[in-house]
Amino acid sequence: MLKPEQNDYVTQTGPGTPMGELFRCYWIPALLSEELPENDCPPVRVKLLSERLLAFRDSEGRLGLIDEFCAHRGVSLWFGRNEDCGLRCPYHGWKFDVTGQCVEVPSEPAESGYAKKIKLKSYPLIEKGGVLWTYMGDPAKQPAEPEFEFCTVPLNQTFSSKRLQENNWLQAMEGGIDSSHVSWLHRGDLSSDPLFKGAAGNKYNMADLSPVFEVVESDGGLLIGARRNAEDDQYYWRITPWVMPTYTGVPPRGDHPIHGHFWIPIDDHNCWAWSYDYHPTRPLSDTEVQAMRDGKGIHVKYVPGTYIPLANKTNDYLMNREAQKAGRTYSGVEGIGMQDASLQESMGPICDRTKENLVGTDNGVIMARHRLMRAAKALAEKGVIPPGVNPEHHKVRQAALLLKRDVHFKDGAKEALVAKKGVRQTSV
Amino acid sequence: MLSESARMTTAQEASYRIQYPNSKRRAAKVIALDRTSAKIVDEVSRLPWNGASFFTSLSFSAKGSPGAEGGEALQAWLNDLAGHAMNLVAEVASSDFVVVITAAGEDARAVSIIADACKLHNKSLVGLVVPRDGASEEAVGESLNHLRPYTRMLVVASGVDYVEAMLTALRA
Ligand code: FES
Ligand SMILES: [Fe+2]
Repeated sequence: MLKPEQNDYVTQTGPGTPMGELFRCYWIPALLSEELPENDCPPVRVKLLSERLLAFRDSEGRLGLIDEFCAHRGVSLWFGRNEDCGLRCPYHGWKFDVTGQCVEVPSEPAESGYAKKIKLKSYPLIEKGGVLWTYMGDPAKQPAEPEFEFCTVPLNQTFSSKRLQENNWLQAMEGGIDSSHVSWLHRGDLSSDPLFKGAAGNKYNMADLSPVFEVVESDGGLLIGARRNAEDDQYYWRITPWVMPTYTGVPPRGDHPIHGHFWIPIDDHNCWAWSYDYHPTRPLSDTEVQAMRDGKGIHVKYVPGTYIPLANKTNDYLMNREAQKAGRTYSGVEGIGMQDASLQESMGPICDRTKENLVGTDNGVIMARHRLMRAAKALAEKGVIPPGVNPEHHKVRQAALLLKRDVHFKDGAKEALVAKKGVRQTSV
Repeated sequence: MLSESARMTTAQEASYRIQYPNSKRRAAKVIALDRTSAKIVDEVSRLPWNGASFFTSLSFSAKGSPGAEGGEALQAWLNDLAGHAMNLVAEVASSDFVVVITAAGEDARAVSIIADACKLHNKSLVGLVVPRDGASEEAVGESLNHLRPYTRMLVVASGVDYVEAMLTALRA
């Protein structure tokens, strides 16, 4: 349970809000590289942290993320012409470069220098691992580039997708930390999904439906361990890292690519659910990439030409009661991503946490909220740089492994939890 | 026509969510396992709570423990801040869930007696290890080892303030 004022505090990310300021300390995924595929391609509207922006790639491949609206009379520059190293407003021909600098005001003589006085707000946009990242905070405090392993391995080893999720970012992110739902909501998919099935560890999941949890802090966030009984005085551990504010890693299965999410606020009622999938030491196979494109694993099928899931709230998520009854899916909704999203959207645009009844096993969620609020407060009051900004904090890995029963997972999995170039993930 | 899922997820429909209470007061028992955590429990207990009771120590006589073989003979008491000694098994029996707190590196072995009582009455046990100034990673590991066999959820608290945050979140 949260008090009403805490619920507002931790869910609102617009400009000037404490949590919004926290988000503005980090590089966050803004678009997929495929959305700006070539120089002078059409610009793309982007809304992030309750700010309407426009992304484009200019004639020389430079990337820009600028205020969506023309400084002249406020029309959307989405209608603009992306040509000759700038975006020209089609209304009266004002032209802007990737930094938002106005470079031409046709009605004024060039020598007048009028254009130099006009500049739209802009944020840096960088390309890394098939993702375009932005930093929306104070330019003087811009951190080093993100180092999450999925965005540093060669491009043929990594695949990312995103989907629109129509609810506040926090309730979606909490789903990534709440390991206890997996044995219920996703139980049908373990044995059937091409990106999960066949792992030796799956048998422990199926045999022991009430895992026991341990939550410990890490430098960048949390480590959430779920353990189940295994043979020979051992436990089967599945360890989920959370890096503040919004990165989570799903523990791996066998040699399948490893995956996880970011939940990036669009505004307080919508977010982008980002899903990455990569292998640390080998290229993804064609079959794997095809499965990801087909919406298997944690990815989804789209309404063609959009990043809106094909199963969405307008069609009741293609609810299939027969599959539910037969146990092919637990909730009647198909696919892991939409199983989560359908339930999280049903919580409402912003989950009312004043009415929830948490139990002991919700401690991962409780601690994540606590750390977020504490970090936002320390930032607002003392300017403390929050955990997860330092790229060293990004070099964590999810892990699935067997450990002796008297071993603390943080020690036993110490090596497994660090991303190391050229070293395979630890997984059973 | 708009699907009901699309309609019910709007902000406007959120205002029609009914506001009747959906839970009753729960009796949490919060038990310190050592002297350092007793100070924390003492402090936290002064805040306003719903149905939680706080205990700063455990004392017992005889061997064995309740629920264990021959454990009937065991007498264990939880001592509260006012100096009352309450019967452990009765307290656990009347609880909804039990939280034990230990400070990193302190002797937390009393947990096994509390865990036996929880097992006897099928109550879930949450373990909280709070950091202590200067406590090493090994000390934390040792505390976790004491608690691990008995708890459904084991947490290394980020700080003393987490005790309050967690109990509030659980409506204790
Ligand atoms: S059982 Fe967890 S939300 Fe309903
Ligand atoms: Fe899920």
